[in-house]
Amino acid sequence: MTADEKQEAQFKKLLSPKDPEGNDLKFQSKEAEANYKASINRIKDAVQLKKTPDRVPVALLPSMFPFFNAGMTIQEAMYDNDKTVAAFRKFILEYEPDMHIGAAHAGPGKFYEILDYKLYKWPGHGVAPEHCYQCVEGEYMKAEEYDLLITDPSFYFRNFYLPRVFGALDGFQMLPPFTGILEIYGLAFFFVPYALPPVQNTYKALFEAGAEALKWAMAIGGLNGELTTLGFPNILGGFTKGPFDVIGDTLRGTRGIMLDMFRQPDKLLKAMEALVPIMIGMGIGAMQQTGNPQIFIPLHKGADGFLSDEQFKKFYWPTLKAVMVGLIEGGCIPFPALEGHWGSRLKVIQDIPKGKTMWMVDQTDMAKVKETLGKNACLIGNVSSSMLRLATPDEVKAYCKKLIDTAGKGGGFIMGNGAFFDEAKPENVKAMVDFTKEYGLYK
Amino acid sequence: MTEMPCQASVLQNSGWEGRKMKERWTEVEAGAKEKQAKQFAEKQAKQFATWLSGESIPFEDSNAAEAYQERINLLKDAIQLIKPPYRVPVCPSPGFFPISYAGSTLYAAMYEFDTLVRIWEKYCNDFAPDAYNAPTSIVPGKVFDLLDFTLYKWPGHGVSKEWPYQFVEGEYMKAEEYQDLIDDPSGYFLRVYFPRIFGALKAFERMPIFPLIHEMVLVPLGLFPFGTPELQKALHDIMDAASEATSWGKKVRALNGSIMGKGFPTYSGGFSKAPFDVVGDSLRGTAGVMTDMYRHPDDLLEACERLTPFMVKAGVAAGKANNHSLIFIPLHKGADGFMSDKQFRTFYWPTLKKVIVGLVNEGLVPLLFAEGGYNSRLEVISDLPKGAAVWWFDQTDMVRAKETVGKVACIAGNVSPPLLCVGTEDEVKAYCKRLIDTVGRDGGFILSTGAGMEGAKPENVRAMIDFSKEYGVYR
Repeated sequence: MTADEKQEAQFKKLLSPKDPEGNDLKFQSKEAEANYKASINRIKDAVQLKKTPDRVPVALLPSMFPFFNAGMTIQEAMYDNDKTVAAFRKFILEYEPDMHIGAAHAGPGKFYEILDYKLYKWPGHGVAPEHCYQCVEGEYMKAEEYDLLITDPSFYFRNFYLPRVFGALDGFQMLPPFTGILEIYGLAFFFVPYALPPVQNTYKALFEAGAEALKWAMAIGGLNGELTTLGFPNILGGFTKGPFDVIGDTLRGTRGIMLDMFRQPDKLLKAMEALVPIMIGMGIGAMQQTGNPQIFIPLHKGADGFLSDEQFKKFYWPTLKAVMVGLIEGGCIPFPALEGHWGSRLKVIQDIPKGKTMWMVDQTDMAKVKETLGKNACLIGNVSSSMLRLATPDEVKAYCKKLIDTAGKGGGFIMGNGAFFDEAKPENVKAMVDFTKEYGLYK
Repeated sequence: MTEMPCQASVLQNSGWEGRKMKERWTEVEAGAKEKQAKQFAEKQAKQFATWLSGESIPFEDSNAAEAYQERINLLKDAIQLIKPPYRVPVCPSPGFFPISYAGSTLYAAMYEFDTLVRIWEKYCNDFAPDAYNAPTSIVPGKVFDLLDFTLYKWPGHGVSKEWPYQFVEGEYMKAEEYQDLIDDPSGYFLRVYFPRIFGALKAFERMPIFPLIHEMVLVPLGLFPFGTPELQKALHDIMDAASEATSWGKKVRALNGSIMGKGFPTYSGGFSKAPFDVVGDSLRGTAGVMTDMYRHPDDLLEACERLTPFMVKAGVAAGKANNHSLIFIPLHKGADGFMSDKQFRTFYWPTLKKVIVGLVNEGLVPLLFAEGGYNSRLEVISDLPKGAAVWWFDQTDMVRAKETVGKVACIAGNVSPPLLCVGTEDEVKAYCKRLIDTVGRDGGFILSTGAGMEGAKPENVRAMIDFSKEYGVYR
């Protein structure tokens, strides 16, 4: 199958959703079924850029807003799956966006505690109950470890990286290389370390944590199914990242990767190349699991000001593009998010296959995005978090009108917020959705 | 004793962590500049000194400690090609001979650890080879029962109790999976290969891809399979197997301590393979790798290159962990008749040479066991640094081997199993005499067998060892 045919097949599957047993999904009403299918067709048209949808679709992509909206703290949501589910259900039914991205944002707090996760602080665990979790920047991968990562990514992660970021996975350091298993000769020695107490404790923690994750995933997944039967599709099929951000965010850290561009550029480039197939596999694997082709790719270190133009072209873009092309060839729809400002990158990033991607735009000038990237790709955004928090409903409507008139022109646009938002005025969120449904009709 | 190093600290001490693995084997090429050659010689001398120190070996008395050093020095002199040793070292490959010699079965040796100890002690006590093989090849049967190992059949598990275990050939890696192996070797082994070769590890198919766990929202999605009963069961099976392997390991460790304590060094301290054999033996299989030379030559070559640093690392880590110089490398698919000369030069030799040079650069001595015939390969394999490796031959013409590769490497071999099984003591002695007179001339020779000694007459084994020790003295 060609990439086109694969994408088409994914949409076809989305249009005839199944229940967990594999039978045709039973919607709760005719209206719900019609809404669901209309939304899928709108995304399809918006992404493919072949024809204009019947109206501009509107998506809500919140971070912790649903929990504030339900009057609870983030800590409560992280430690109680039922509360998470109830809050998110309430959020969707109250604001009625065409589509959503699921309730996975808070994550299972107890799970992280069991693993002794050191890469983040979260509500009740280093952060106040009503604040979002925070990444603890650091050099979790050392400057001299590039060769280890390049030579054997899975082994590097298991024996070096994971024990550093998870206190409970300390025992992984004691395990021998997988590739030692070749013949029967000496093979028994390979298994000896699995009898060591630190190794067994690591697996015990993983079993306990895994059980927590499973409960949480069932709760979130159950809610997704329920919302689908009510006519609200989840458009998030999975998650992957650009290789520069994989290394720059949580392996080498911002400072580390910035230095590496000068001190060991070749190693950095090789490591990013080594991560390309893994990041592609991550997206395609997620699509196969969830049945949703949209693979979210948050973009961080490539924003204006982080890198020079030359650095962006040399270090950031080539492997990110390779990941996206690989995803497209596998039938996915890459869904990158231009977090922050990306005005200086538009000419470079517009060079992507047409009708195969959707880009979430945060604070970049939408008219300029439409003229460049928008010629080849669907855009989603860019009502800003500050507007949702501080503006009036009329100001929100005026901004949405401007977006529909410019970015929405000729299709290829999904109304949405620009960044994952925590706090917002409910009436502003409501105004954005309702106004778009009314004003966004293509005639 | 050959033992998998398992602590990360061992890996670090071995020079693995943070070392430039990919560059390492290019740092010193065969016939390299003098300075580089000197570097490897210094490292080799240092590693020999570590082996000679016999640290942590419970020697019975000072005579035993002295005998231990003398025997290692025989090997060291034979290997370095600087001066002949005091006499020809005699290091046969026992195979399963000690089992029948003790009147036992392989089944008993695999399932009753005390029997294994008795068998091995008896062989070493009765024959006193200059270096003995730790019973690494006599694996603990129950470990493999628990894991439902499908890559082999063994006594009581598909093979009768008296017979050696047998390899089950197959395409355990599919032709279209080369890229997966190349992209993430450990990930491929863990999630694709293990579920195929261990019935009990079927659920490893659902093992997370570890490099995906790098951001908070991804962690629960990555690790939730550990909450499933299938994966938990597989890991509990590994832990059960581990406890069995640990009891076995303790016995073997004590056994090795006892034999070494009497003054006998082990013949090798680690294990590695030619990258082509890694692919051809237990991944693609013989039929697979042979057709791949025609149908997927680039994939095959890239996979061999990709596996090279792993094979260096495996040998280096084991050698350093076991304080030993010699790394055993059994060679299979490169023998005469398996492939053309051009194929050997294209597919087999380049990455094997890189493994050899990689080990040599770390001060280790590859013990290259050329099973079958290697007559057509002697010129190609002579391209190595001098005094750095041992070539151990089976059915190769030993005189020609001495004239070619013998100029740069110590030669070992090649008393044949048929001679030991059906020959007379005099015939055995005559063959050993001829070997010592020709191949043993001026040193650079280890008298050994061409293969394991299953079925040998004990009197022939004794004749080979005793005669060679006596006749092999250099004057």
